[in-house]
Amino acid sequence: MALPAELFLSPSPQELTFIAEEELIEIVPSFSMSRVRLISASPSGVYGPFQPPSKAVVPLWLALSLKRKKKCRIICPEWLTVENLEQLMQAEKENSESFVPLPRHFIEVSKVLLDVAASDLASPSELHSLLLSLRHIRLAKIRTGLRPSNPSLPSANNAPTQSGADTGPFSAGGEYLKLTGLTPIEIVEMRSFLGGVMGMMKSLTDKPDGDAGGMDQD
Amino acid sequence: MEEDYYSINSIIADTHKLTCTFNLDVKGLGFLEGGSEPDIKQHAKAELPFWLAHTLSANEFTSFPIPPPYSHRVRSALNASAHSVRLSSLVGTNGWWYAWGRRIAHILDDAQRKELLGTLLKAFSQRLPLLQDLAAHYGSSSASNINSGDMGSGGVTIAGEAFKEGMDAEERELFALGQGAGRKLKTWYDTPRR
Repeated sequence: MALPAELFLSPSPQELTFIAEEELIEIVPSFSMSRVRLISASPSGVYGPFQPPSKAVVPLWLALSLKRKKKCRIICPEWLTVENLEQLMQAEKENSESFVPLPRHFIEVSKVLLDVAASDLASPSELHSLLLSLRHIRLAKIRTGLRPSNPSLPSANNAPTQSGADTGPFSAGGEYLKLTGLTPIEIVEMRSFLGGVMGMMKSLTDKPDGDAGGMDQD
Repeated sequence: MEEDYYSINSIIADTHKLTCTFNLDVKGLGFLEGGSEPDIKQHAKAELPFWLAHTLSANEFTSFPIPPPYSHRVRSALNASAHSVRLSSLVGTNGWWYAWGRRIAHILDDAQRKELLGTLLKAFSQRLPLLQDLAAHYGSSSASNINSGDMGSGGVTIAGEAFKEGMDAEERELFALGQGAGRKLKTWYDTPRR
């Protein structure tokens, strides 16, 4: 409870970025050095040796730090290419029901790479706009997910008006919203709001008699 | 919002007054009616705060009709266009439409409770999309834009503004949550790592 209220609800984007910087990435160093042992989430923590023409695998935070000192070139991860992002966009558009699964730290890693190592990426501005559209498509899906299910569906039509209230409030037709495939940072964005919405709906839902009897008898 | 014992919101919602009819004579409580009569007669009407009305009605000393904020007229307005009903002015000054309705629902009999809760839930889920749109919009525009009244190209319509004015207290709470989270993400996106 010592945490400020906003951190208590969910991890902050900055914390998620910190976690994401443990991801491993390939670099081409521009200095020579033998193996180093670093405090790391990976079991061994041994990285290197660094020998200029050949690649080395290091955690992202080390790569970024070296990059800032102009001591390495970061090899762009294979998913961060214009081609791959366009494919993802396509898949995301075709699949209107659910979210295309992304690498866990997709958003954080792509953002820091664009910020720090834009010169090592193929076409940074294009990547940036593709990432932005991808984000907007995914957010739009959450929005449509919150709309009440279409009342003109045949099943709802046959039923008398009274039972219209029984169909779930979300477009999936039930009282849930499918979030499978969202990455943690996207969940952070929605979490407090959706949590509140769910709580609100629960409080407005009539409990079955069995439950109510158990709860209300003081 | 939780019905927590210590929740200030819950206490405020509890003090809203409900018009009740007494089912029996009560000696010495005439002041509840606001008149100079010392006693309350059977069938007398009085506006009682909900915390009192609750206990009295549960013990069948009083009875009450469904109060006007949940009446048929409001229901039809909600059916016609859920997001243009100003819930904020219906119950109390802050708008405790959901909270108070929930309280009342729990002392009604089964059929009435189902109906009232159904109305509340339906209203909420129909208002939800606009609520989320607004929260997302305000979250993604910078604070200065909002304060100066300049909405930019954001696409919040006049209807959206009217809806924002008419939000219930709990809806406003959700709005603030959504806006806060959106703003946090926006700041993160806009701050480059160096």
